[in-house]
Amino acid sequence: MGVVVGPRVIDAGMSLLSVLISPVPVAAGYPSPAQDYFDGRIDLNEHLIKDITSTYVVRVSGDSMQGAGISDGDELIVNRALEPKDGSVVIAVLDGELTIKRLRITATGVVLQAENPAYPDIRVPSVSDLVIWGVATRCLHHV
Amino acid sequence: MSKPATMRRMPLIAHVDVNCFYASAERSFDPSLEGKPVVVLSNNDGCAVTRSPEAKALGIPLGEPWFKLAPRAKEWGLVALSSNYELYGDISARVMELLGRYSAWLEVYSIDEAFLGVKGTPDELLALGRTMKTAVRRNVGVPVCVGIAATKTLAKLANKWAKNNPAFDGVCHWDSVAPADRESLMGRLSVIEIWGVATRLTKRLNVLGIHSILDLSRADPVMIRDRFSVVMMRTVLELQGTPCIPMEEERIGRDQLIFSRSFATSITTAAGMRQVLSVYGQQASARLAKHGLQAKVLTAFAGTSHFNPKDTSYPSVCVPLPMPTADPVLLTRAAHTLLPHISEGVRYARAGIMVTDLRPTGNQAPLALFENPHEERRVGTLLDDVTRRYGRGSIGLGHAGIRGGPDWTMKRDMLSPRYTTHWDELPLVKAA
Repeated sequence: MGVVVGPRVIDAGMSLLSVLISPVPVAAGYPSPAQDYFDGRIDLNEHLIKDITSTYVVRVSGDSMQGAGISDGDELIVNRALEPKDGSVVIAVLDGELTIKRLRITATGVVLQAENPAYPDIRVPSVSDLVIWGVATRCLHHV
Repeated sequence: MSKPATMRRMPLIAHVDVNCFYASAERSFDPSLEGKPVVVLSNNDGCAVTRSPEAKALGIPLGEPWFKLAPRAKEWGLVALSSNYELYGDISARVMELLGRYSAWLEVYSIDEAFLGVKGTPDELLALGRTMKTAVRRNVGVPVCVGIAATKTLAKLANKWAKNNPAFDGVCHWDSVAPADRESLMGRLSVIEIWGVATRLTKRLNVLGIHSILDLSRADPVMIRDRFSVVMMRTVLELQGTPCIPMEEERIGRDQLIFSRSFATSITTAAGMRQVLSVYGQQASARLAKHGLQAKVLTAFAGTSHFNPKDTSYPSVCVPLPMPTADPVLLTRAAHTLLPHISEGVRYARAGIMVTDLRPTGNQAPLALFENPHEERRVGTLLDDVTRRYGRGSIGLGHAGIRGGPDWTMKRDMLSPRYTTHWDELPLVKAA
C-alpha cells in the first residue's frame, strides 16, 4: 500500500481541513513511533507573551540601555498590563517620547536610570509623577 | 419594605465606547500628540472624521474638508493624520478582547463601541465600569467612557452624559443618578440626541409637542407606533426602561461593517469556527457588494465566556487584504487566519468579523488581473514572457484603468506607522 496521511476522522458535517494531519507520512501498517510524541512545534508567542491583548513590540533606538543587554535596533516585548516595580525596565513617556529606562523606587524617591554611564539619572518625587507606558519583559537582541 | 435578597437581579447593559477613537489610537503610540489638536482625515485625506477635544475646541466642524483647514494648521498647531485603518482595526480588537473578559455577553457594536451584559448592585456596577475604564486605558492606551442602564438606549444616553459631565469621571450608572437630575438632563436634550431617532423625523415629533428626550419618554408607545413605526416605539419603551432592542448580528457603520454574535451552544473546534467564519465572510461579501463597497482590512475575533474562567481565550487577527475587495473567497480566507489561534477543546461563546477601510468599488476590471484566480491561469507568467521577448511596454495591464482606479492612487500623505501589524513599522523607543 502507498503512503497515507492519517489518522482520519470521517464526518459528513466536517470540512476537509478538519482531517487531522500527522507531521510525518505514515506507511500503512507501520505507524511511526515519533508520531505519538508530536505535540506541535515551539510557538514563541506561547512562551514569550503572557497576555497577547496587552502586549506590544517596540524597537530600541539608542545605546543608553547597553548595560542591560539592550542594544540599538533590538526589539522589546512590552506588556502594558504589568504594574511597574523597582528594577523593572520600563517604557516611560518623557517629553512626549517613548523612552526606555530602568525604574528604581527607593525610600528617597523614584529614579529613571540609564544602563550606560554616559546618560544621567532622572529623578522624580513619586511614580505618580511619571507616565509609564509599559513594562518590558523580553529583549529580542540581535546577535 | 426592601426586596428579598434572593430576588434575581435583572441583567443591565453597559455601553462602552472609546473617546475620539482614531485620534486616541494615534496618541497611544505617539504621546507627543497629547494635548495637541489632532484631526484624522477620511480616505484620500478628504475631510476631518475624528477630532480630538482640542480640535473641537478650535471650532473645527466634523467633516470639515482638509483643504480648508490646511492653510491655518500651522498657526493652530493642528496635527492632521491620514486614516491608519490597520492600527485602528488592531486597537479595536484589543479593546473588545479586553472588554470580553468582563462579560459573557458582548456585542461589538462598531469599531469603537460595544454593549455588554452586566449584573450587580449599583456599587458593584460602578466599580466594574471603573475597572473596565482603567484596564482599557492602561493595557491598550485609549480612554473610554461607560454608561450602565436597563436598556441599550439608556446606556448610550448614560455614556453620553458621562462623556460630557466631568463629575461622572467617565462612568455613569443611570439608576444611581437622582431621578430629578435624569429628568432635567432628558428635558435639556433634543430628541435628535437620542440613539435611533432619525433627524428627518424630528419635525414630525415636534408637531406632536415632542421636543426633548423627556417628552419622547413620556409619549404613548402605541400612539408612536401608529404614527411612526415599531422602531420608534422601541425607542420610547427603551427610554421608559423596557429593554426591546435585540442583539444585532450585522451592522453597517460610517466606515465599517461588523458581523458577530454569541453562540447558543459553544464552539469547541477549529472546524466549527471555520464554518462560522466562512458564513461571516460570505455575509460580509454580499453586504459590501450590495452597498457598492470594498474593504481593505479585516479583523476576525473570538472569545470564551466569562463564566468559564478556567480556559479563557480571546484570539483576534487584523489582516490587511491584498487589495480592496468584496470577494467572498478573499474575505473568507482572511477570516480563516484566525483559525490557528483557536485552541481545540476551548469553549468559544462568540466570534465575529469586522471589515474596515471601506471605499466605493471603482472601475477595477483591469486590476482583477492581480487576483489569485488569474495567477493560477498563469497570466503573470505570460506577461513576463511577452515582456522579455518583445521588450518593456509591449504589453500592459490596462494601464489607464490602473491610473484611474481610486484605490491605488489613494492619497495618504500623513499616514502614521502601522505600529502593531508591521514589523518594519514598530514604535521606536528612545534609549538616550
